[in-house]
Formats: sequence, structure tokens, C-alpha cells
Amino acid sequence: MSETPASATAPRGADWGRFVGRPGRSLTRRLIWLAAAWILVALVIAALVLTQAFQESALRRLGDMLNETIDEIVVAASRTAEGEVVPQIQDARTLRLLSGKYWQVLEMQPDGRLVSIARSTSLWTYDLDLPPDLPRRLDAAFGEVITFNTTGPKDDPATREPLRVAASMKTIPRHDDPVVFLAAIDRSEVDADTRQFATLTWGAMVILGFGLVAAVFIQVRIGLRPLFDLRDEIADVRKGKAARIGRRYPLEIQPLAEQVNRLLDHNQEVVERQRTHVGNLAHALKTPISVMLAEAGTAQGPLPELVRRQTQVMQGQVDHHLRRARAAARAAHGLGETTAVPEVLDELAVMIEQVFRAKDVEIDWRAPDDLAFLGERQDLQEILGNLIENAAKFSRRRVRIAAGESGLGQMIVVVEDDGAGLPADQRDEVMKRGARLDESAPGSGLGLSIVDDLTRAYGGRLTLGDSDMGGLKAVLELPAAHTDARAPAAR
Amino acid sequence: MRVLLVEDDVDLTRQLKAALSDAGYAVDHAPDGEEAHYLGENEPYDVIVLDLGLPKIDGVSVLERWRREGKTTPVLILTARGAWSDKVAGFDAGADDYLTKPFHTEELLARLRALLRRSAGIASATLSCGGLRLDPRAARASVNGEPLRLTSLEYRLLHYMMMHQGRVISRTELVEHLYDQDFDRDSNTIEVFIGRVRKKVGADRIETVRGLGYRLTPLAGETEAA
Repeated sequence: MSETPASATAPRGADWGRFVGRPGRSLTRRLIWLAAAWILVALVIAALVLTQAFQESALRRLGDMLNETIDEIVVAASRTAEGEVVPQIQDARTLRLLSGKYWQVLEMQPDGRLVSIARSTSLWTYDLDLPPDLPRRLDAAFGEVITFNTTGPKDDPATREPLRVAASMKTIPRHDDPVVFLAAIDRSEVDADTRQFATLTWGAMVILGFGLVAAVFIQVRIGLRPLFDLRDEIADVRKGKAARIGRRYPLEIQPLAEQVNRLLDHNQEVVERQRTHVGNLAHALKTPISVMLAEAGTAQGPLPELVRRQTQVMQGQVDHHLRRARAAARAAHGLGETTAVPEVLDELAVMIEQVFRAKDVEIDWRAPDDLAFLGERQDLQEILGNLIENAAKFSRRRVRIAAGESGLGQMIVVVEDDGAGLPADQRDEVMKRGARLDESAPGSGLGLSIVDDLTRAYGGRLTLGDSDMGGLKAVLELPAAHTDARAPAAR
Repeated sequence: MRVLLVEDDVDLTRQLKAALSDAGYAVDHAPDGEEAHYLGENEPYDVIVLDLGLPKIDGVSVLERWRREGKTTPVLILTARGAWSDKVAGFDAGADDYLTKPFHTEELLARLRALLRRSAGIASATLSCGGLRLDPRAARASVNGEPLRLTSLEYRLLHYMMMHQGRVISRTELVEHLYDQDFDRDSNTIEVFIGRVRKKVGADRIETVRGLGYRLTPLAGETEAA
């Protein structure tokens, strides 16, 4: 039995902890709720204390007045011939009937009953309504003044005014039994004042509370703004608009920004290492493949043929895994690198013209000076290198390249040649092969499958058509970098 | 024809040596970068086959050293790295052609023949304009000894301007000599190419004569060397 409550309270405690710090719950809301709870408690306590203090002070003032009245009637009390105590005081309110200010003198009988021996004119023939334990309390505080509340001396209970009463029991000369002096005054005005004060106080506190919560809200929003900024900047990095976290942040989150940058650097390092590793592996495998291929040569027979076939499979595997590893490296990387297109076009044009110099190929490229590709230089080199080499290979002499921004963060590169072109059905064949990476044969002749894979990896598109120059027209759509993000990455 | 074969793999070396000898070349072999550099520097080879992954000094560094020392021997690089970034790096270092492993021996022989044909008659009359030199037979140009990397259209433009240096050449004239057919003859074309050539040879060498055209002149202070 004893275990049940223990195990039941444990998760409740955890729940409370989670209520203020649950993951996924808004930090803003959490701060505001905590502040609001604290403000609520503080304001309620303040309102209660203020109201109480006001009421006590008002009642004390009433009590002082009543004490004076008691003093007066005690002093004025005198014994008539009939042996009665008749205080004569000239307070007008005690003379006016049911005025709200009364006094009464009572005698304590030996059996504990109180018998009225004199009362103010205002009280007419009524008796003040007294609590039953009054004689005992008076006895206990003999000679002292005690105060209590009661209601007025009217027949109709609905119209009876609330009264504040001061009572004191004293022995007076020539009186055997103790005499009780009572003075009472209408409390309704004080009650109304207290109520009004309470209303005002609570109203003020509510307004103050809302004001404070609003202030906290604004403070939290402003205070957390750097966090939102950081979030936006990280989103920019992910989208490729920026390479690193560049802004300065407040002391508390600057280390976080620095750690993010360090993570990005580390990421880049890993990617570079992976690339180097893949390159080394390829190199290590390709030389033996070369040797075997050369050894088999063009000789006839089952063994040379087997070697030729198997080395081709090996070569295909090497190429395939090389490409896969690079695609994976790119996916892990992909952080906002930009590449100047004219530079890449220039170096490729010079180089490919040189390779095809026997044919005297002429590559005429045009691109705006500030055109930049949103992606890695190596990939743009790979895409354009294959396309241009392909065009040069199949051209008669001329290759034309036009690149430009097409708006909406895209750019278009058109590569054309004046060769014989490619029939439409073969174009489809080439593209289809590119779409299925796993089946793409090595040395597929056109290198277009690589171009297509890479272009797709960048969310771009490669379409083939007929050029008015006579040959093939390849149209590339690729992501372009925005002008402002371009400058720092330009090499 | 003398060829230097730089390759560290024993089997590949044996095969290539045999194939090159069969094709009529006199073959020297260097198994590492250091020896390759020494041989290439001191022996008059007609062509060099250079593997990039080498012990001691890597192939690109060897090639860069040769080019820095003024060696113009055509170099074909053999590389396992088929990526275009690697090819571009090889060309930047001064390669004339590349072959990606694995390759067929016949392909290598065909490329070597093409390279030799290209470099034949390298000691031809060169054009010069100050520090700018152009060798029409080898289709090479350089500024103060630094080889220029020009596309054929840029080369043709520079060639024409060097043949008519000191004279104002109108845009129409340039367009006519740039394109052998009536392609792309918009007024912008010449400005684009002038801009690119200026970027490569130095902006001050080509002067714009307002309303008339362009003029190629040596830089102030450069002595005119025929």
C-alpha cells in the first residue's frame, strides 16, 4: 500500500518539471508563463495586504471614536435616586432616534445575564444585539475595551445597519455588580470605503498585471531575438545562401554559433577526406586494371577475352562506386558554395580546344561576367566538361555555348555543336541510361549519364534537342547563386 | 623520336615500354618523380608520358618544375583521376593532353602521334609586342614568359592584332577576321572578346580608340624586340 502513493507522486513531479521545460514547448511561452505566475502571486498578495491594512486602519479610527464615547459615558455615569446609572452626554447623534450611534449600559447579574440599566435616546427601547459569549470575553478582559461587529436595532433585519461595537466592563462606585458600557456606531460607511478601496486595488492590480505580462512578453521577444536570428542564419546555410554563421551574437549564444561553424568546418573536412580517400582507392585500382587490359590486348582466345570482360566489369564497378561516393560526399557537403561560371567555361574551353587541336575545334562561349552557379566547382567542371567534350568530339569544328540567368534562382547553359547530331530515339536512350545510375555502363560514349546524374543531384534538368548549327543541342538548367552571395566565393 | 616514360607500376611500365618500342620510339624510363625531373631537364625528349601518382615527387609538381624551367616538351599525363577538376589542374600545370586510366595502348599511341605532329616545327618565327609573344606554328602565346591560356577565338583575335600592332583596327575588321562565316556578328561580340583578351594579357596593352576601334601597343617602358 505504501508503495502506491510514492510511485504515483514520482511521475507527477516529473510532469511538473516537464510543464515548465518540456522539449518542444515554446521557450517564449515557458518564460512568459513563469513570469506571469510569479506576477499573479505577487499582485494577489499585494492586493490582499493593502485591502486588509486599509480596513484595519479604518476600523481602528472607528474604535478610537467608540473609546471616546465609552470614556464619556463612564465619566458621565451617575446614579439616580432610583439607583440607576444615567449618563448624560450631549452628542447629537446619540439623541436622534436610530441615528446609527448608540450607547448602552448593562449590569452583569451574578447568574451571568446582562440587564440593561441605561441606553442612549437613539436606541429608543431596543437592546443592542450582543454575541452570547460576550460576558465571558468581558470577564476575561476586565477593564479593557473589546470590539466586535453586530447589527443595528431595527425590527426589519433587511434594513439593519452593520455596527461596530466597543464594550468594556468596569466596576463603578456604589454598584456591587460589574457594569458593562457599550458604544456602537454605524459601520456601513467604513465598509463601503473598504469595498471601494478593494475594488480600486484589485482593478489596479489587474491592469498592472496585464501591463507586466505584456512587458515580459516584449522583453522575452527582444531577448530571444538573437536566437531567432541564429535560426534564420542556420536555415540560410542549409539552403546554401551562406557558407558559415557570420553574424556576431550575444555572449550567451556566440559559443553556439561558433560551435555550428566548427561543425560546418568539420563536415567539410570529412567530405574532403572522403574525396581524397575515394580518389586514392580509384587510383590504386585503375592502374592494375590498365595493366590487365593492356596484357589481354587484342589477342584472341578464351583467356584474353575473359580478362577483357572482367576488367571491364571492374572498371564499371570502380566508376560506379566513385560516383556514388562523390554524390554522398556532395549531399553531406552542399553548404552554399558558389562557383563563377565564366572562369569554369574559360578554362574548359581552352583545355578542350587543346585536346581537340588536331580537328581545330573552336569553342565560342558567352556568359555574363557575374554569372555564378550555386554548387561546387568540381561538379560544375564535371557537368560542363563532359558536355563540352562531348560536343567537341561530335562537332565538325564549331561548338557554341551560351549561359545566362533565367530568373528565379536558375541559370541556363546551352551547348551546341555543328556535328551530325543525334537522332531523337537515341537521345531518349542516352537520357534513359542516365536516369538509372545502377545500370549505367562505363564508357557509355557520351558521358551524358554523368551529366544527367549530377544535374539531377542539383535539382536541375538536362534536355537534348536539335541545334540550328546542325548538331546536338544540350540545354542545362542549374541553380544560380544570388548576386550578393556570390562575391565572397568568387575565386 | 625519343620519349620519356614516367610510371611507377612495374607491369604497366613493361607493357608501355614494349608498345612504344614497337611503335618506333626510343624509350627512357623513370620510376619516380625525382629521376623523371632530372631526365626531363637534361635530355632532349620529343614527348613525355607522365603518370601523376608517383613516389618522391608527384607528377603535377614535376610538370610544374619543367615548365618553370622553360621546358616546352609536350607532355601527356596519365591519371587515374578522371574528374574534370583533376584534368583542369593538370592542364594548369602545363600538360598538353591527358589520358584517363584504364586506357587502351592504341589510344595512347594515337595521342602521342597527334602531340608530336602539333609540336613539329616549334622553332618558327614568333611575333612579339613588348613582353607579349605569339608563336603561330605552335599556336602558343605568352606574356613575359608566362604561357597564356587562350581559347581559339581569343588566340585568333590576338594573332590578328599582333600582325597589325600599332595600327587602329576597326570592329568590323576584327569581326571579319574572328569568324570565317557570318555567325554571331553582333556589335557586342568584339567588346566581349577584347575584354577577355585584355584580362589575360593585361588591360593596358590594348587601347580603345574612341569611335575607330582598338590598337595593340607595347607597354610604356617595354623595349620593342623583333
